[in-house]
Amino acid sequence: MPKRSGMLDSTRRLLIGIFEDEDGVLAATRAARARHLNVVDVYAPYAIHGMDRAMGLEPSRLPWVCFLLGLSGAAAKVWFEYWTTADNWPVNVGGKPWDSLPAFVPITFEVMVLFAGLSTVFAFFLVSRLWPGRRSRLIDPRITDDRFALVIEQTDAAFDPEEVSRFLQSHNAVRVEERVEEGRG
Amino acid sequence: MKLDFQPPRRTLRLLQGMAAAGALALAAGALVTPQRTWANLLVASFLLIGLGLAGLLFIALEYVTHAGWSVAFRRVPEAMACALPCGAAGLALVLIAGAGIYPWTHEPLHGFKGWWLSTPFFLGRAALYVLLWVLLGRSIIRTSRRQDADGEVAHTHRNIRTSIVFILVFSVSFWLASYDWIMSLEPHWASTIFGIYNFAGLFASGLAALIILVSWLGRSGPLRGFVTAEHLHDLGKLYFAFSTFWMYIWFSQYMLIWYANITEEAVYFVRRQQGAWGTLMVLNICLNWVIPFLALLGKRAKRDPRILVKVAAVGLAGRWLDLYLMVNPAVAPGPPRFGPIEVALAAAAAGIFVLAFLRGLRGAAPVPVEDPRLAESLAYHT
Repeated sequence: MPKRSGMLDSTRRLLIGIFEDEDGVLAATRAARARHLNVVDVYAPYAIHGMDRAMGLEPSRLPWVCFLLGLSGAAAKVWFEYWTTADNWPVNVGGKPWDSLPAFVPITFEVMVLFAGLSTVFAFFLVSRLWPGRRSRLIDPRITDDRFALVIEQTDAAFDPEEVSRFLQSHNAVRVEERVEEGRG
Repeated sequence: MKLDFQPPRRTLRLLQGMAAAGALALAAGALVTPQRTWANLLVASFLLIGLGLAGLLFIALEYVTHAGWSVAFRRVPEAMACALPCGAAGLALVLIAGAGIYPWTHEPLHGFKGWWLSTPFFLGRAALYVLLWVLLGRSIIRTSRRQDADGEVAHTHRNIRTSIVFILVFSVSFWLASYDWIMSLEPHWASTIFGIYNFAGLFASGLAALIILVSWLGRSGPLRGFVTAEHLHDLGKLYFAFSTFWMYIWFSQYMLIWYANITEEAVYFVRRQQGAWGTLMVLNICLNWVIPFLALLGKRAKRDPRILVKVAAVGLAGRWLDLYLMVNPAVAPGPPRFGPIEVALAAAAAGIFVLAFLRGLRGAAPVPVEDPRLAESLAYHT
């Protein structure tokens, strides 16, 4: 998830380092943060172990969505089963009491898993701004194949693109380019 | 590099005292209240056998799945396997001297059950199970230690093959063993899921013991610097999963019996729901699942040994209670009893387990130094 500094619709000047392997981009990300550069995001064809720590990402809040929605799903299902079998249209099954909790457990469990799973996936799509019809904005087409990109934002006047370029190249960046990103919502 | 880890004198003396107290309680109890004593010896022995088998099963699973992450602490489950012969010795005492706790020894059954539960066949089977476990376990551990000396990859391949055999043998023999030694205490009751139920308890408790021992050796012993929060994190995940699996199987057994409500099946839970037994049944679920589940749901608790070890200790207490609830209501009707015999034999099981573990560590390098997957394990990132 990109960290944004300043207003949403301001123009951003970005410096992009393209790397050939995961060790290179991992080391460069660590070093960039040690130099207090503003790491906007890192793009890779697959998940890189340890990258979250190298980027200093905060722990995801998705587990909370999973936990709370799972709990609500389970509660709603227990209520629904009680309502259908004991309240609205009592059904006698094998002489068991109307509100036979043990019989509710398997379905409650399944619905809890369903709610927890689906809500986590949808919450993930939502916070990642992924929905049908959305145009992808690739920083470089090859990050879906065999390249890794480290994106650094030029935050203030003290930022020296020349020097940061040399820094990225010293970490085996195969290409460094500057890009101006027009403001967008 | 040999491993000569000795815990502080005081700890050793405490462990030996626990074992000695168990022996005293066993001798006195066998004379005064034999039924109750044999029942509790069965609980303690089955617990020890289970922990030893869980160690072997863990190693075997890691070999057959070509897992690298756990190699750094493989000496710990290897040493856990030393609890197996100790448990087998206690079990032999129950099956030979205390066989009276099995109702079928004094009122013979008929048909297939009568043939299956006849003393010579019963004892022969028990000997066969233990023999197979000990021989296969020994082979795996010896091969793992031989690799320390010559570093041959062939040892890893050989252990993968032995592990496959062990898993196949274990899955059948432990299933039958739990039928023989525990379920036949109530020979007219039958539950086909009983073997999986016992396997779930065995593996969850084995992982709990593994967590405690790995963090102990990692903090103040020879594994310092070798095991990290990453290893504990994955052990915590496994324990969390198998604790939940235990609950799943527990409920599967309960719900089918509750739903069908057939007299000869339901009697098992009717007996265990009366009076204080009912409270213990709820406590059993709390110790084995509710507490571990809620405590280990988050990531932090699984990486923090102070939390993880406490939760694992709760789980081990839960394993004892689970076995107590399988055995004691069948042998000694009436309200649950918790006195010097129960305490002494449970403490003896704990003491003997740690002493056997320390013995198992002797004479080997603290980590499998020549294992081809050691580097992967040391650099592991979950």
